[in-house]
Amino acid sequence: MGASEAGRAPGAAAAARGGAAWQAVAERGSIWGLRFTVACYRLLGRRASLGLVYAVVTYFFLTDPAGRRASRAYLARVRRVARTRGGPAATLVPGLRASYRHYCAFALAIVDRLAIWFDRAGDFVFETHGVERFDDLAREGRGAVILGAHLGSFDALRLLAKRTGKTVHVLMFTANAPRINAVFREISPEAEARIIHAAPGSVAAAFEIRACLRRGEHVAILADRMEANDRGRGARVSLLGDPVELPEGPFLLACALGCPLFWMVALREGPARYRVHAEELAPARRVRPAERNGAAAELMAAYAERLEHYTLQAPLQWFNFFDYWGDARAAAGEEAQP
Amino acid sequence: MPAEASRQEILGWVVEVLQQEFEYAPDELTPDTHLIDDLDLDSIDAIDLMVRLEERTGLGFNEEDLKSLRTIRDVVDLFDGRL
Repeated sequence: MGASEAGRAPGAAAAARGGAAWQAVAERGSIWGLRFTVACYRLLGRRASLGLVYAVVTYFFLTDPAGRRASRAYLARVRRVARTRGGPAATLVPGLRASYRHYCAFALAIVDRLAIWFDRAGDFVFETHGVERFDDLAREGRGAVILGAHLGSFDALRLLAKRTGKTVHVLMFTANAPRINAVFREISPEAEARIIHAAPGSVAAAFEIRACLRRGEHVAILADRMEANDRGRGARVSLLGDPVELPEGPFLLACALGCPLFWMVALREGPARYRVHAEELAPARRVRPAERNGAAAELMAAYAERLEHYTLQAPLQWFNFFDYWGDARAAAGEEAQP
Repeated sequence: MPAEASRQEILGWVVEVLQQEFEYAPDELTPDTHLIDDLDLDSIDAIDLMVRLEERTGLGFNEEDLKSLRTIRDVVDLFDGRL
């Protein structure tokens, strides 16, 4: 959640994905950005912050051709898929206007995030689908791994969890964890305690996840991006028409632990209004080691299918402003056309 | 797990799990077998193995315990030390 995403916001995302050095720089930038937006929100309140965030996002839109190109290629892709599958994405007209709307949706998401973390959490209204399953799990004393994506709002999901009395920990891949932690401690001491850090080459996070699940608490992971820590442990899966590489770790771990695995998303429907969907990707079962890779691949395909389904419902809430499919440059030729 | 379980019994459990669940041949599994170099276990396998052994023994282990494990003998020592 939070800071690492901000680092991949339009602008920072213009850099190539993956490299550890780049990630360190992006996170330094995002810590600064996080502090700055937090300070503004505190000083100016929601309305003025919204204006400011729009201004920042507009600045990135104007100065970041790679991000623009990525947005445009993504919108063209999503329209292509929507034309055969249906959904609101079918009526998108890829171009500067649509890309700007895409950037503005990101601005709204940032301000909502701040509102959730600060004073306005009570204003948020949720329409939920499928979250009753978590009550069943609570009765059984079982925790689940919840997979999300950079689609809609992850913070809205955390707010909903808090409201319904569920404990959700968030797995974060980050090299600068202690510094990001410091910022979170300032914002919300309680939130900081709920972050599990995955350090490269360590199995500590896996044990921590297991301990949480055993206590009947949930662990949320954003599984739509390879992180530097994944060190090539990725697998290819089809998403919106072409293969992408996603981290295998969360899927393999769910198989090894035999825990329930959920897909979850919160889509913004209007001011402070979110529609939440929770779906179990497959019944929990412990998989024999020899079958683990195959089972993980099936879970990943199911995840990608859900991600695709909900992306088509809310195409502008897809917040991966970089060359996700590796085709933005090729598609850039289209930018010259009207 | 009976408190009087001998090292031999513990070794038996470890070998049994590696044989039945991980499908290694019995002759690959000696106390000196190296988990990573010989059996090619990765971190997910290691967690899987620990979970299965924990279920069998009722003991709990953490990441620190896992770090010190190199060979099957180390695994036996770990469980033996807890009984």
